[in-house]
Amino acid sequence: MNSTAPPLASPSLDPGPPRRARLVWRDELGLLVVYLILCGFMAIRSPYFFSPHNFKNILVAVSTIGILSVGTTMVIVTGGIDLSIGSVLALTGVLVAYFSHHMPIPAAVSLALLIGAAAGAFNGLMITRVGINPLIATLGSLSIHRGLAFDFSGGLTQSVSGDGFAFLGNATLFGVPFQVLVTVLLFLVAAWVMGWTVFGRSVYAIGGNAQASRLAGLPVRRLQMIVYTLCGLGAAVGAMFQVSHLGVADPKATNEIELSVIAAVILGGTSLSGGKGTLSGTLLGVLIMGTLNNGLTLLDVSSYNQDVARGAVLLLAVAIDQLRLRWQAR
Amino acid sequence: MPETIDTSSAAGGPPLLEMRGIRKSFSGTEVLHGVDLTLNRGEVVALLGENGAGKSTLMKILNGDYARDAGEILLEGRPLELRSPRDAHRAGIQVIYQELNDVPDVSVAENVFLGSLPRKSGLLKPLVDWPETHRRAGEVLARLDAQVSPRQSMRTLRVGQRQLVEIAKALSSRARVLVLDEPTAALTPREVERLFETIASLRRQGVGMIYISHRLDEIERVAQRIIVLRDGSVAGVRSAAEVQRHDIVRMMVGHEVADSSATDRARTARGADQEVALEVENLGCRGEFAGVSFSLRAGETLGLFGLLGAGHMEVPKAIFGAEPVDAGEIRVKGHAVSIRSPRQARRHGIGLVPEDRKVDGLVLGMSVADNLAMAHWKGVSSAGVIRSGVQLRRAVEWVNRLGIRLKGSVRQAVGTLSGGNQQKVVLARWLEAGVRVLLLNEPTRGVDVGARADIYTVLDGLRAKGLALLVCSSDLEEILEVCDRVLVFARGRMIGEFDRASATRISLLAAAAGGSI
Repeated sequence: MNSTAPPLASPSLDPGPPRRARLVWRDELGLLVVYLILCGFMAIRSPYFFSPHNFKNILVAVSTIGILSVGTTMVIVTGGIDLSIGSVLALTGVLVAYFSHHMPIPAAVSLALLIGAAAGAFNGLMITRVGINPLIATLGSLSIHRGLAFDFSGGLTQSVSGDGFAFLGNATLFGVPFQVLVTVLLFLVAAWVMGWTVFGRSVYAIGGNAQASRLAGLPVRRLQMIVYTLCGLGAAVGAMFQVSHLGVADPKATNEIELSVIAAVILGGTSLSGGKGTLSGTLLGVLIMGTLNNGLTLLDVSSYNQDVARGAVLLLAVAIDQLRLRWQAR
Repeated sequence: MPETIDTSSAAGGPPLLEMRGIRKSFSGTEVLHGVDLTLNRGEVVALLGENGAGKSTLMKILNGDYARDAGEILLEGRPLELRSPRDAHRAGIQVIYQELNDVPDVSVAENVFLGSLPRKSGLLKPLVDWPETHRRAGEVLARLDAQVSPRQSMRTLRVGQRQLVEIAKALSSRARVLVLDEPTAALTPREVERLFETIASLRRQGVGMIYISHRLDEIERVAQRIIVLRDGSVAGVRSAAEVQRHDIVRMMVGHEVADSSATDRARTARGADQEVALEVENLGCRGEFAGVSFSLRAGETLGLFGLLGAGHMEVPKAIFGAEPVDAGEIRVKGHAVSIRSPRQARRHGIGLVPEDRKVDGLVLGMSVADNLAMAHWKGVSSAGVIRSGVQLRRAVEWVNRLGIRLKGSVRQAVGTLSGGNQQKVVLARWLEAGVRVLLLNEPTRGVDVGARADIYTVLDGLRAKGLALLVCSSDLEEILEVCDRVLVFARGRMIGEFDRASATRISLLAAAAGGSI
């Protein structure tokens, strides 16, 4: 292309082994070990744990967190955060139930997804154009959307009309629940986008150093807008499956789910300071969180103590993130 | 070199401050080679030297920011151990840096008494005595004729006013030794007058001051003695009353290399017959520079030189759309263009190599290959999907062409490379993007000698291929080495133009230093 520089003597170099990829794999190997230990522990304590039926339960239960964690991983890789996903999920769930009584199901679902994306875009606007800190901007959205969800539903669970809708959350393909398949597909697509497209590499770049990225001519604010929009859309997709699976929309649903999602993403090795994180790591983080929830229930741990355990896992995940940073700095 | 005057210490007792044989090394390189400095009561000593001569290192040692490797510091004959700025403050030494260290969101009075707010008495000791705080802050500020209320929020002040508050802070702590680093850089003429009156009154109270400035006319007014540092050693001590300006410049530059003009290198100015690649007319950026006009031809290297804070460093950023421009016109190949973001600049074929590559240049955690491709993903992707094979091949090509030394492969994180190799990655990024105009800010700062020569060779090669280069630097050697023409800046204005024949160390430095006020 532009052979503008004179060649300077230097031995020819081949690309060599993918060093970064190996490092990432090593991080995830640790997680895998943690996961296996967790499974082993649960299997010893509960005879029901190692049944196909229970694993199907775990997968269905984590698919909502899984779907939300895809967009959240992208947001956190940019160095941002989105606290509003649980509220967006509740709002779009209530809305799709309401729409289902007034229009065909495909139209209702499309409209709800659009509103989810719009909610994400609104966060993006507040953050990139107004310049509000992502934590504050999405904290405001968290409150607004949750309030709207209650407002629309009058605080009551909403029934869904129409038959086609139940398919999403209950159908199976070769015995695998449809929503689990969709979750896996989302992870695969997102992993490909983040690793092999210009968009994905640019998202890592702006998370790693926004200023340098801007000076290299990357459209930093536009990329942030897209990522927050995708995150909102992801929350709405999660809502569709959840409402379909339960058959009703509950404005109180998924309260504080954002904590579990963020915990899973951080546990999966994504750094809160941005620029670093993989979807394979997030997937493992999600599985650990889901298996932990399932196991605690099987072990008859009270729901209060489950909260304690989840909080402890979140702290542990962030502590590991910090220790890893310090270790790398050496 | 003899000390020509020795005023008040003759009256008896040791001098106020003595620094003897101060040495300091950073990662194996000695930057201060046994510097001596004496300061008497009521005296103003001007400390002069080129950028990098060691002035700020010496002052940071005096402020307790850096630990000295050898030498001693005596205050009124008693040795001092300065382990932190707090130790220095307790001893009565206050350094006012050019980069101000204030707390923006609290009041002016709180900044004046930062760390030592007046307290109530008796049982109420833990409480701040606000009326007293405001009264005393008001007094000190009034002495400086600062048009600032003690209750005002620091954030609402102009830079010049912030500087005055910083001086008020030093006055309130009853400092005996005061270091002023370029104190007038942001002051209005009236504020400068008041500052000089304050300095005179402090002298009468016996305060000793070290005054760092590049402005020779100011130094002639306030200082009694002049100490010139060059390459980490004292190049000369003179009485301010007797010294000649060209003598000072000669001491700063050094006799042995004086007048080694660039003409001895067999390289004629090229580019005269080439088309104009970039034209700038009357460009202005508020608070930084104004009225900048020049044209840059393809195959030409134009240098922008100035001392620290002269405004030349902001010009490339403004052209590149990284700083807001509020006046003037930019033309690329004869067409007026509007550049409001780096993205637009890149579309017009302009690239910027920023002065701080770690902050502004590279994504340190990402691979060399990704950093190379960042400004031009199009070249290594189709329909938004990266063709890894192509990307790696191109990266390896650039690595070979610029001699970038890797420890592993092009997939290794760019943060693991040395400074010089990192800089080559930033350069290669813009070459990969196919820019025709390359703006470079301090292209070899923090780069070792070998890599520096490599970078100069690359720049020469680019120039030969018809790229237009704008090299902005505070390093004289660099300007003389690479530039066909040089524009000298002082106080945000272009004050002189030199070609290869007329650009010498002395002519450039004299223009940059003498052009002030």
